[in-house]
Amino acid sequence: MSKIAYINDKPFEINKGETMLSFLRRHQGQNSVPTLCDAPNLDPFGSCRVCSVDVAFEKGGKTKAQASCHTPISEGIHIYPDSDNIQKLRKNIVELVLTDHPLDCLTCEVNGNCELQDVAASVGIREVRYPEGKNHLDRTKDLSHPYMTSDLSKCINCYRCVRACDEVQGELVLNMAGRGFDAHIIKGFDETFMSSDCVSCGACSQACPTSAISDVFQSKAIKAEEKTRTICTYCGVGCNLEVSTKNGEILSIQAPYEAEANQGHTCLKGRYAFKFYNHPDRLKSPMIKRNGEFEEVSWDEAYDHIASELTRIKSANGPDAIAGISSARTPNEENYLMQKFIRAVVGTNNIDCCARVCHSPTALGMQRAFGTGAATNSIEDLDHTDCIIVIGANPTDAHPVTGARIKQQFMKGVTSIVIDPRKIELAKYATYHLQLRPGTNVALLNMMFYYIISEGVEDSKFIENRTEGYEEFKEGILKLDIDELEKITGVDKNLVKEAALAYANSKAAMEFHGLGVTEHSQGTFTVQLIADLAMITGNIGKKGAGVNPLRGQNNVQGAADMGAQPHQGAGYLDVTDPEMNKRYNAFYGADVPSHIGYKIPEMFDAAISGDLKALWIIGEDVVQTDPNTNKVIKAMESLELLVVQELFMTETAMRATVILPGSSFLEKEGTFTNGERRIQKVQKVVEPIEGTKPDGQIIVDIMNKMGYPQPDYTAKGMLEEISQIVPFFAGVTWDTLGDNGKQWPVLPDGTDTQMLHIEEFKRGKGKFHYFDFKESREIEINGKEFPYIITTNRELEHYNCGAMTRRTGNVEILTEDVLLIHPDDAAKEGITNGDFVCVESPRGKVDIKAAVTTDMKPGILSSTFHFPEIMLNIITSDEHCSEAMCPEYKVVSCRIRKSKGKHKVLAQA
Amino acid sequence: MSKNLSELSGRKGIVDNLFDKMGQASTAEGTPTQEKLDELAEEFLIGKSSAYGTITAYDFMKPENKGKKAYVCNGSACLCAGTQPEVQKELENHYKPEEIGHMTCLGRCHENGAFNVGGKNYSSKSASEITKIIKGDGSNNDNYIVKSNKEVLTAPCDDFDSHYTLLKNILTQDSAKVLDEIKLSNIRGRGGAGFPMGFKWESCRNETSGDKFIICNADEGDPGAYSDRYLLEERPHSVLFGMMIAGYCTQAKWGILYIRAEYPESVEIVQNAIDELRANNLLGENINGSGFDFDFKIIKAQGAYICGEETALINSIEGQRPEVRTRPPYPTQQGLFNKPTIVNNVETLAAVYWIIKNGGEAYAALGTEKSTGTKLVCLDSFFNNPGIYEVEMGTSLSSVINDFGGGFKSPVKALHIGGPLGGLVPASKINDLNIDFESFSSNGFLLGHASIVSVPENFPMIDYLEHLFDFAAYESCGKCFPCRLGTTRAHEMLRKANTSDYKISEELFNDLLSTLEQGSLCAHGGGIPLPAKNALQYFKEELSNHFEK
Repeated sequence: MSKIAYINDKPFEINKGETMLSFLRRHQGQNSVPTLCDAPNLDPFGSCRVCSVDVAFEKGGKTKAQASCHTPISEGIHIYPDSDNIQKLRKNIVELVLTDHPLDCLTCEVNGNCELQDVAASVGIREVRYPEGKNHLDRTKDLSHPYMTSDLSKCINCYRCVRACDEVQGELVLNMAGRGFDAHIIKGFDETFMSSDCVSCGACSQACPTSAISDVFQSKAIKAEEKTRTICTYCGVGCNLEVSTKNGEILSIQAPYEAEANQGHTCLKGRYAFKFYNHPDRLKSPMIKRNGEFEEVSWDEAYDHIASELTRIKSANGPDAIAGISSARTPNEENYLMQKFIRAVVGTNNIDCCARVCHSPTALGMQRAFGTGAATNSIEDLDHTDCIIVIGANPTDAHPVTGARIKQQFMKGVTSIVIDPRKIELAKYATYHLQLRPGTNVALLNMMFYYIISEGVEDSKFIENRTEGYEEFKEGILKLDIDELEKITGVDKNLVKEAALAYANSKAAMEFHGLGVTEHSQGTFTVQLIADLAMITGNIGKKGAGVNPLRGQNNVQGAADMGAQPHQGAGYLDVTDPEMNKRYNAFYGADVPSHIGYKIPEMFDAAISGDLKALWIIGEDVVQTDPNTNKVIKAMESLELLVVQELFMTETAMRATVILPGSSFLEKEGTFTNGERRIQKVQKVVEPIEGTKPDGQIIVDIMNKMGYPQPDYTAKGMLEEISQIVPFFAGVTWDTLGDNGKQWPVLPDGTDTQMLHIEEFKRGKGKFHYFDFKESREIEINGKEFPYIITTNRELEHYNCGAMTRRTGNVEILTEDVLLIHPDDAAKEGITNGDFVCVESPRGKVDIKAAVTTDMKPGILSSTFHFPEIMLNIITSDEHCSEAMCPEYKVVSCRIRKSKGKHKVLAQA
Repeated sequence: MSKNLSELSGRKGIVDNLFDKMGQASTAEGTPTQEKLDELAEEFLIGKSSAYGTITAYDFMKPENKGKKAYVCNGSACLCAGTQPEVQKELENHYKPEEIGHMTCLGRCHENGAFNVGGKNYSSKSASEITKIIKGDGSNNDNYIVKSNKEVLTAPCDDFDSHYTLLKNILTQDSAKVLDEIKLSNIRGRGGAGFPMGFKWESCRNETSGDKFIICNADEGDPGAYSDRYLLEERPHSVLFGMMIAGYCTQAKWGILYIRAEYPESVEIVQNAIDELRANNLLGENINGSGFDFDFKIIKAQGAYICGEETALINSIEGQRPEVRTRPPYPTQQGLFNKPTIVNNVETLAAVYWIIKNGGEAYAALGTEKSTGTKLVCLDSFFNNPGIYEVEMGTSLSSVINDFGGGFKSPVKALHIGGPLGGLVPASKINDLNIDFESFSSNGFLLGHASIVSVPENFPMIDYLEHLFDFAAYESCGKCFPCRLGTTRAHEMLRKANTSDYKISEELFNDLLSTLEQGSLCAHGGGIPLPAKNALQYFKEELSNHFEK
């Protein structure tokens, strides 16, 4: 029988473990109890006391006021939430608050949306009876930051900002200083937002019940006419955003608390970096390059030109002389259309997307091991894990919201392992940091297997029941020379042993990886070994476990799901399989080729060799972001037709023959699939900027122009088509996706899937594979002459080529790419912090400013390619994963010297 | 209260302690340098704001403490004794005014005139004596009478060997049985709340965590109280023994003594006692082959009265701001570093030796049914015989005052008993009270720590109230709204009424007291209305000039 407690002597059911406040709100409504320090995403704190209620052990018994937010409800007690005593108590508390709060509501930013105002009104304050006393009304505003603002004269000391900074973001930038009446919010050492270590996530601003902490967009003001829920465009976390608009213009963004993907949190990119959308630099007209100059043309003229060029090239050189690169930034529906256009209209499998340069090894490796190339578990599992291993990923910069959730677990002391050449933020909090030499993942994982097997901590039952190929694998591992591997990786074998045993002995261990795993010559093999690691310890098919790639771009999962890759069509069906080919032909009503097309690096080679004549790129700046810039530029310039569908004049767009102005995620609808396979609705917030079109409609237009009947673009219509061909989208419809989307596979009845491979793997048995470590050719060939290794990374403030983030306030926070270098190396080379350093590889050289830091290991350097002023990819190589052709961005041989004056060697045209 | 900060601080264990390091970093200048704080923030991963936020909340680490060379006691007893203006004046002959700070209660309530220079406490009544002290010739000894009608805590010390033979003997027994004796004794916490110690220990024992802590709350901040100081300095082995038994009963491996900075001598004496244990192989792993591991760590407090509250004390040891935590979870479930923790007062722990030696039943036979055992009572300098008296619970207050204290030197109109949050007992009620929890609470007072501060006949009650709320506001942690704002507003109104013709609205003042009492998160804000209400009731006429209906 359920337990009950009483509200005003009426019985109500108790939920186990709930507080009086949640009990009251559940039965009496969300607004039944006023609160000031309570917030949906924070632990109960008990500072404001406004939520107090009278509590008695028996009906009409002696009552005691108790703060309902942190007092558990217990069976049989009687709560009188609005007794005369309580009403008076609340009023008296709020009266005290108002003795130290400006009464300038009419001119206040949050007028009409202020929790203090609401509570004051609800308790019925009419006067403040206290004589004038000390107050804090003269505090000055902090307007130092491009986004964050504070006006602490409005602060009521509820600590919500402090707690958000701690419990949500884990940054600990905000706290209280002083005590008693003098207690006041500080940032860092009582400094400004700008000079503090603030990461501008805005959690404090959203948490603040008044306007004491806010942002330049005044996101709590009630100016908005409309609020639209959509999905962030910046990474694979898939944060839900609530975008406020007025008169068709975006005012500000907040994060819905009940969003499963982000639980009321975002990073500064999602919350604040939206002003690129109507930046004056937006491309606003189709353009054709004539005599080396772009000329604005009408859409029709552009379409006619493209259609006739494609027809010409197709008839002269065959369909395989044409290729497309779809965009992992655009919705599933547009990716589906792009691959359909290339396959069904052009007639080639030359379609790829940026997954090639990031997680293609993940998809391939996991398919080989499990049968499915996607995250096995959900982010929510972080709340149920005993051990987290992060390999080659820096989530607090690249996937900040998931990163913050992981960091919370690290801070709370869950067993944590980081395998990364850099002392990334998470490494500082980790139980074990295995700081290996870049390019030696296979060797390091093999060391872990060696200890797991030799110490007998493998999960024999799981291995026996669920897997195959274990004996050969074990044989390979036991033959290894651990001391040699220790030398190769540069990681103390005892530390590796401890970490391996900690992982293996955990009840449920969860793996995350990023591009530090995939962007290597042995990328796919590393992914297969990660799968081995999960299988050998039985960490598949259970809560709090699994293999969980942190997908890079917002819809890179979806782009591959939709078939934007040359060997598999929509839904990962093998294009070379005659059965599948028949199915596609029938569905598209066109002949689709059955030989595998070019992967992106092959496209560049084919362009240079003259086999590829035309390339259509959507939303991808390959010149700035693909490796070996000079080669990419050569490829672009060898093409007869280069169509670039873009928001801005990127380094790639500059080299286009035709430019088509697409629209941003804020201007169109569709779905993005996040890293945990969650298909979520992207809803149009504003109309496309004048002169631009949604990318999906552009493709539909050209399909029609080239004689293929495709109805106009709508998300709903496209999903109807996709659900018929992509097996795991069978039950996906626009109308039933709901606010939090669905995780694929979605069954025809609409049921979705939080976890894969629960009873058996997609491929039946999980497959063990053993691989020997092999030194990268980059090191073998160039290591002697170029003794340093530079590895590329990402910074929180910028996204990929930076075309969007560099056109927002983010550029004031992080102004340039820098070279991270260990103090010993800097000293050896006579470099001091801030000096320009010439970094030279066999491909070329760049000049970049040094940032000396012990986060690096001696001999290892790191930098980013967010800024075209640097063009770091001038020095990166053509080496790539032997299996998936993912470029080896992470191991680049180079040498360094202090620059002779600040100069920069730009790619030669 | 931050769970993350608790965990991060706990990663380094108790030996490499953040708060300890903050304290050490403050010794030279009175406050840590920013570079040092930055280093600590990096080392412990706590963020700059947490490091800065913490040091600004303690009197002896905050930036304003920089360069302080002398401190004058401004506790209630010294205030009532009227000795401090003289001390201040004399110190100003030797130090610049900005070099002189305040400490609230140096525990010299029996002789007053208390001040601290060069890290040592003194009491003095003459200018020449102060000059002598500053020159380094003065003695920091103090003298007070210790007497008893039933010696438990004040019993002469057993010699070291027989004291710890008892421990060795206990370590061979079933810890559940040892705990049974504690429960049988029915001893209640002497820190003020009177919570049964056996119950607390049992609840900690039932927790499964591998790491548990025993904390001795030696942050005796209540003006008027110096009995803990007596026990720490005169009976350190009783306190340490009690902590070891608590560890044995709960499987805790660490005993932490949080001793106030205002008692520098206590820190030294207890450390010597710990060293003595170590020299005799009675600390560390597998003590005397029993399988029991235990060790001690002294954490020197840094001047925040609120740390007497157990959760603020825990935060303090973690290097967090001394703010009160919400309950549940209780410290026995999630205390220091989020691990099960017992926090007991010095006097409660010191009684364990007697209980173990004589049995729980013998202890329970002392005192009254609900308040068993004995209680130390501190008498201030208004008594003819100032000192510490151990009496059986249930002994009449008048007997303590007259038989032990020898009556008052000069007329007294009220006794403030049990610290600043205790009741203000008018002289007329003295005969109604016995020294036990029930007698005090049923009469509308609070036994608390049972320290007695006398308010002399000629001392204006409005001054005393103003002083109380000044203290309450100054020592409020600032976390909960009623206490942070209410204590300051009360102080402002009392001050205004005391210095001008402003009259406090009785309705407003009563609303404020009720808000503090009902709304505050802890007993600081919740307790301060009691003496105020007592004053308004018993000294209505005297105060009537300052209030209006």
